[in-house]
Amino acid sequence: MFEPDEELIGRVVRQLRRPVTVDAGLDARVMEQIGRLPARRTGGPVRATWRWIIRPRTIRLSPLGALAIAAVFVAVVLWRPDRPSRPASARAFGFVVVAPRAATVSLVGDFNDWDAARTPMQRTRKDESVWTAVIPLTPGRYRYAFLVDGVAWLADPAAPAARDDEFGAPSSVVTVGGS
Amino acid sequence: MILLVAATLVALQAPAQGIDPRLERLDSITRPIVAALVDSARAAALPTEPLVQRALEGATKRAPADRIVAAVRRLALDLGHARDALGPTASPTELGAAAAALRAGAHPATLTELRRIRRESLTVPLAVLTDLVGSGVPVDSAAAAVLSLAAKTRDADLVEFRRAVERDIALGAPPASATAAAAAVTAEATAVQVNAGARQQRPGRP
Repeated sequence: MFEPDEELIGRVVRQLRRPVTVDAGLDARVMEQIGRLPARRTGGPVRATWRWIIRPRTIRLSPLGALAIAAVFVAVVLWRPDRPSRPASARAFGFVVVAPRAATVSLVGDFNDWDAARTPMQRTRKDESVWTAVIPLTPGRYRYAFLVDGVAWLADPAAPAARDDEFGAPSSVVTVGGS
Repeated sequence: MILLVAATLVALQAPAQGIDPRLERLDSITRPIVAALVDSARAAALPTEPLVQRALEGATKRAPADRIVAAVRRLALDLGHARDALGPTASPTELGAAAAALRAGAHPATLTELRRIRRESLTVPLAVLTDLVGSGVPVDSAAAAVLSLAAKTRDADLVEFRRAVERDIALGAPPASATAAAAAVTAEATAVQVNAGARQQRPGRP
């Protein structure tokens, strides 16, 4: 059994009752330590996911893996279904039409998105009834027509006619070769 | 980093997948139908630019909605048939020219044979075939002439061949005869060019 020692207890009590002097910088040090602790996780799975996304991390990658990722990246940047496999060089093509009483003539076709405002034709100096336009064309086959005074469609009499003309206004075709 | 790469890839692909802004020129009825046809063509790995251009042609010519949709749909089908005939390696311009040739009446076997015998692009031979038929040359005569020239003749000479045929037809020659005669002249000229080239390549003697 243990017999309580009155004298010992008295010394402990006196020791505990002594005033304690606290260092003046303690508060500041404690708050600094608290500030270093990670914040409490609040905000649900969305914030948690966001924190996971933005948290910096080190990824180890083999040179082969890095090359594979770079190859995929380059392939996606370069690949387009409509893009020709090789960049084609453009050649200047001249279009001429005789329209004596026209005030304006536009060259409209597959090469300018059928936009009548994009390629206005110019009168020649020698003969004001002759209208011309020169545009660069890459190899391919293009449908086009002349739009006179913004209302009348005219096919090119010097070029093959487009056979599959479903819109009730004539078109012509020009084919640009590569060799 | 993987997520970043994936997001970048998606962003890069997005412009190709979205509705072409040029189709805004179509009316509200035509636009979604044409956009759907374009999307279907893209999914089938067919070129979409010819479809967009055909729709824009219809819009600029103020064609009714049903005619624009019918024209785009028909062209999409023709492009599919052209790809079947030429194979998956055909370029977009080749497919466009092949679609026009098929529409003009050329047989798919002719296109396949052209692919087999010509190493260069088929765009010009197919266009010449289409234009000859458009000038009144029977499709079999036009196909035979183009096939006979396609293996060794340059694009520029094929275009000149077509001009010669059209000139002779305009002067009154029967289309089939004009085609055969011009093909013979072009083939002879091509042979001369080839031989001249061979002579130039021959090493000189001391």
